[in-house]
Parts: sequence; C-alpha cells; structure tokens
Amino acid sequence: MRIPRSLEVWKMGTVNYLDALKLQEKLVADRKTRKIADTVLSLQHPPTYTLGKRRTDHNLLIPESELKMIGAELCYTQRGGDITFHGPHQAILYPIISLRDIGIGARNYVEKLELTMIELASLYGVRACAGQKGETGVWVGERKIGAIGVRISYGITSHGLAFNIDPDLSYFKHIVPCGIADKEVTSLRKETDSLLPTEEVIQEQLISCFARLFGYSNLIWKEKGLIFSDNGEN
Amino acid sequence: MALRMWASSTANALRISCASKAHLSPAFSLSRCFSSVLDGLKYASSHEWVKHEGPVATIGITDHAQDHLGEVVFVELPEPGGSVSQGSSFGAVESVKATSDINSPISGEVVEVNSKLTESPGLINKSPYEDGWMIKLKPSNPSELESLMGSKEYTKFCEEEDAAH
Repeated sequence: MRIPRSLEVWKMGTVNYLDALKLQEKLVADRKTRKIADTVLSLQHPPTYTLGKRRTDHNLLIPESELKMIGAELCYTQRGGDITFHGPHQAILYPIISLRDIGIGARNYVEKLELTMIELASLYGVRACAGQKGETGVWVGERKIGAIGVRISYGITSHGLAFNIDPDLSYFKHIVPCGIADKEVTSLRKETDSLLPTEEVIQEQLISCFARLFGYSNLIWKEKGLIFSDNGEN
Repeated sequence: MALRMWASSTANALRISCASKAHLSPAFSLSRCFSSVLDGLKYASSHEWVKHEGPVATIGITDHAQDHLGEVVFVELPEPGGSVSQGSSFGAVESVKATSDINSPISGEVVEVNSKLTESPGLINKSPYEDGWMIKLKPSNPSELESLMGSKEYTKFCEEEDAAH
C-alpha cells in the first residue's frame, strides 16, 4: 500500500516576480533538507517578461527602455525555456516537489505539467494538446494557451507552468513567445463558449488537476495571510 | 493506484488524439529497461558516472539519466581551472524546457571540459558514456571514489528508483 502523499497548497494572490523567485529559492533549500513537504505556490504576477538560462534577449522585440511605458518589468531567471510573459489573469503554479521521491525524471515531469493544463482546458470544452518536438507547452491548434519553464536542482523542482485564463494578449506582441515565430498566443476566454467562473475557482481547478496527475491524495490549503504568519512564527 | 491508472490512461488517450506526440514513443517503461550501465565506472545516486584513469577522472551523466531528461538542447559547463566539490553542482543541462543541475560525484580541479557539447548538446543523449562526457577532473580526494556505487549496485539502484514510480 502506498502512503497517502501530502501537498501543501499556498494560495498567494498577486505576487511580484522577484519576491516569488526569492520565496521559491528558500522553499527549494527547505525541501532539500526535508524541512517542508512537497509544496505548490498558486499565484498571478504583475506584467513581467522573463528570460530563461539561455538569455535569449533577441526574442524581446522592444527596447528595454520602453518596457516601463507599457508597465512591464524584465527579469532574468535560471529556468529552462525561452522568453515569456506573465501578467494579470494568467494562472501560475510553482511546484516545489522532490522528483527523486516520486521517482520521475525531467521529461516525465514536464509531460505531467502539460497534462495538468490540458485537463483544465478540457473542463471548458477546449481541446488542447502538448506541443510538437521542441515546442513544449500546451496548444489549441496553432495557438499557445499554456507555457512551461522548470528548474531542477538536487532533484527539487522550481518555476513551473503559466496558463492563460484571460490576460491582455497584446503584451505577447512584444516578444517571440518561447522563441517560436509565427505562432499565436491565446487564452481560455478566447477559446471557450462556456461562461467562466471566478479566476480563484479556475486556479483551484488547476491545482486539483495537478494534484490528481501527480497522485497527491491529501491537500493542505494555506491562504496568503496564514503563510506569512507561519513564516513569522518559524 | 486507481488514480495513477486513470492518469496514465488519460495520457494515452491524449497522445492518441494528438498525432504530434509521436516523439514520446517508444513507451517510457520500455526504453527504461534498456538503459545501459558500464562495468568499470563508478556511479553517484544523482546519476553521474566517473571513470578514473591515472591522474584524471572523467565525469558525465548515465544512460538512465539522459533517458529521464529527454532531448538535451543546451549544456552549461564550468571554466577549466576552477574547482568542484563532491555533491555540489558544476553545471546544468536543459531538456524539454527544464534546466537540471548536474552534481559532481567527487571533488577536484577541472582540467578540461567537453567543448563539443556547446555545439552538439545531443551527444549526451547519443553517447552518454563516450562522446557525451562533460568534464575531466584532477581528483583532490581519490578516496571519495570508494563512496560511489559499482555497476551492479547502480543497476539495482535504478531498478528500485523506477519501481518507486
């Protein structure tokens, strides 16, 4: 018999990109030393462009100096993948989990992240699928609805997935998303005829899809206020 | 268990519905069975190998590791002359949008890095034990090699890790 596996879910609302990055680094260190259980951060970011480890600046199509005018920031990260955009009305999951404990590798992990978003889309009658070779992410036809960028360090994951519920898609015009030209970006709002519930409900559905695919049977929910008071006590 | 079966059957169904997923075959479990482990090398639990010959130790990642990573598209290596310590990260590989740190199985000074990997990162997948080697070290504490696994022990370790999945 397998022991029921627990996942701590932190519902954080909107968090600045660099604050979320610092928090992830701390949680990765705590997970590595087994101070904490597998954890997933559920949040949204203010408008931010981020680059992966390969620093593919050429895929940012406007001068850095003009970013302020459109209200966006630019951040460099250690994740895999190319340039992407994060902003309001995009659901983000950052799982901090031990792949060694589950016994899966990077490829299998990324496939499960893709499936998490495919299942969420299917709840709204949107048929999405994983990208072709070299085009990791989740697509509706030729249009990208979900992005993935992951870092694995000592078998512990950070960064994760971003699913477009209803972001301002004009932000994507200033980049070559994930380094793939001639492809459009889309959102759940654009692709579905169903009436969407609140974003909080959609983000909870995303977490449920994730937990089911990774076999977590015990979810421990924490709201933003509680998380910070917890940290204060420790 | 039922959940896991449900998840994998969903995965199969989706793969069938998306013809573009052809690169995922052969089935994960099938390819896993054929991961090779070479005699004469030493192995770390984080899936790196060491070949110790005279004053130099060559380091790379195992066939099992490359199979679990998927197609490697980018390799980050240290500068020669620097030092690395046992269990700490000396570089990284990027596959399928995931960057994975690579840890050194032993401590030492980096004397050479495989610069071919910059142009052809896929060598790690094609030839993990030969052309896909990553760095050469001058070991600073050769006794560390004794803490590593032999080929039989490592084969068993991989089987157990896969069984846990």
